[in-house]
Amino acid sequence: MGKALRALPRFSLTSDATTEIVLDSGEKIALDGQVSYKVQPPQRMFVELKSDRKLRQLFYDGTTLTIYAPRLKYYASAENLGKTLGELVTTAAQDYGIEFPLADLFFWGTERAPGDQLTSAIYVGAGTLDGERIDQYAFRQPGVDWQVWIAQKTSLPQKLVITSLDDPAMPQYVARLHWDTTSAMDAKAFTFVPSEGATRIRLLPIEAVAVEADEEESP
Amino acid sequence: MNAFHRAIPLLATALTVCLAAAPASGAARGGHGGHAGGARASAHTSVNRPASRPQANRGVDRGSTSNSNRNVNRDSNRNVNRNVNRNVNVDRDIDVDVHHDDHWNDWDDHPFATAAAVTAGVAVTSAVIGSIVNSVPPSCVTTVINGVAYQQCGSTWYEPQYAGTTVQYVVINPPR
Repeated sequence: MGKALRALPRFSLTSDATTEIVLDSGEKIALDGQVSYKVQPPQRMFVELKSDRKLRQLFYDGTTLTIYAPRLKYYASAENLGKTLGELVTTAAQDYGIEFPLADLFFWGTERAPGDQLTSAIYVGAGTLDGERIDQYAFRQPGVDWQVWIAQKTSLPQKLVITSLDDPAMPQYVARLHWDTTSAMDAKAFTFVPSEGATRIRLLPIEAVAVEADEEESP
Repeated sequence: MNAFHRAIPLLATALTVCLAAAPASGAARGGHGGHAGGARASAHTSVNRPASRPQANRGVDRGSTSNSNRNVNRDSNRNVNRNVNRNVNVDRDIDVDVHHDDHWNDWDDHPFATAAAVTAGVAVTSAVIGSIVNSVPPSCVTTVINGVAYQQCGSTWYEPQYAGTTVQYVVINPPR
């Protein structure tokens, strides 16, 4: 799977995903959302994150990462986030708290998804998912149990289930992945052009957030 | 069915309200009675996650100490949010208008996982300079001054900013 992912010259991906949220009471709420990726390695990417209450677009043209909220019409940018999309996804999370769902797509098959992290691996068996032949696997590694359904034909993941173990309620993330690895892409898709009425706002670095929190601790 | 459909946004709204302080002027009482609490966790959306920087490695309080170490190493974004969350000092009688379905779609910040930080030690009945909310009342007006977008809500001014993919609003001194 890692090898197949790394070998893709480009891909579009739409994913329907359900993310569980754990309330303070322990009650779990499932929130549905869609993620769309247009990816042209090593440096270009467009992502749309869509749910009932949030719509965001992220553009990366190889230099500048821009996040945009089409309904709020606010955008913010950051630069120098890495030479590859794997670096970009890592740096964006570390420096700005911007998390890309399904970030593993950029990690599998690289050193960012080290195999020695796995503490257990089970081959569940072969099966069919939406008419496509798949193999299902179950893995454990620190913090998460996860399962993946890999298409036999393409070796690409068709479904992913991640169970987070760091909360006793063990919230799950379930994503179906729909691939398009052949269609051509418009190069303009990766560059953000502010639309009428869009205004730029600040993107808070994580350090700043942490510092602000610290300041509040000492009255 | 109708009631069910309305229940979900209301639930989310109620939670948001509990985390958000809003200026008292021109807003109706939320009336949700009590503090519904926020979210303590959400499912990871990737298996492998970037290690967090040292700055983000502090103060994780999930109410479950046995898990804290693992969490510290896994999630820079939520750790930071929790740092902020921990210091929340929010007036329980928050005034905010919660029944704006037309605003709902634009009210697009994560209502569960992101918390408002309010300057410690200050009782919040009106917006305190530097306090942060996740949404502003729909009556606020967008005003652009020198290319910077502000939200003006009566005498209270907010500057929007991104914290991760979430838009927050910081209460600022009036820019003019």
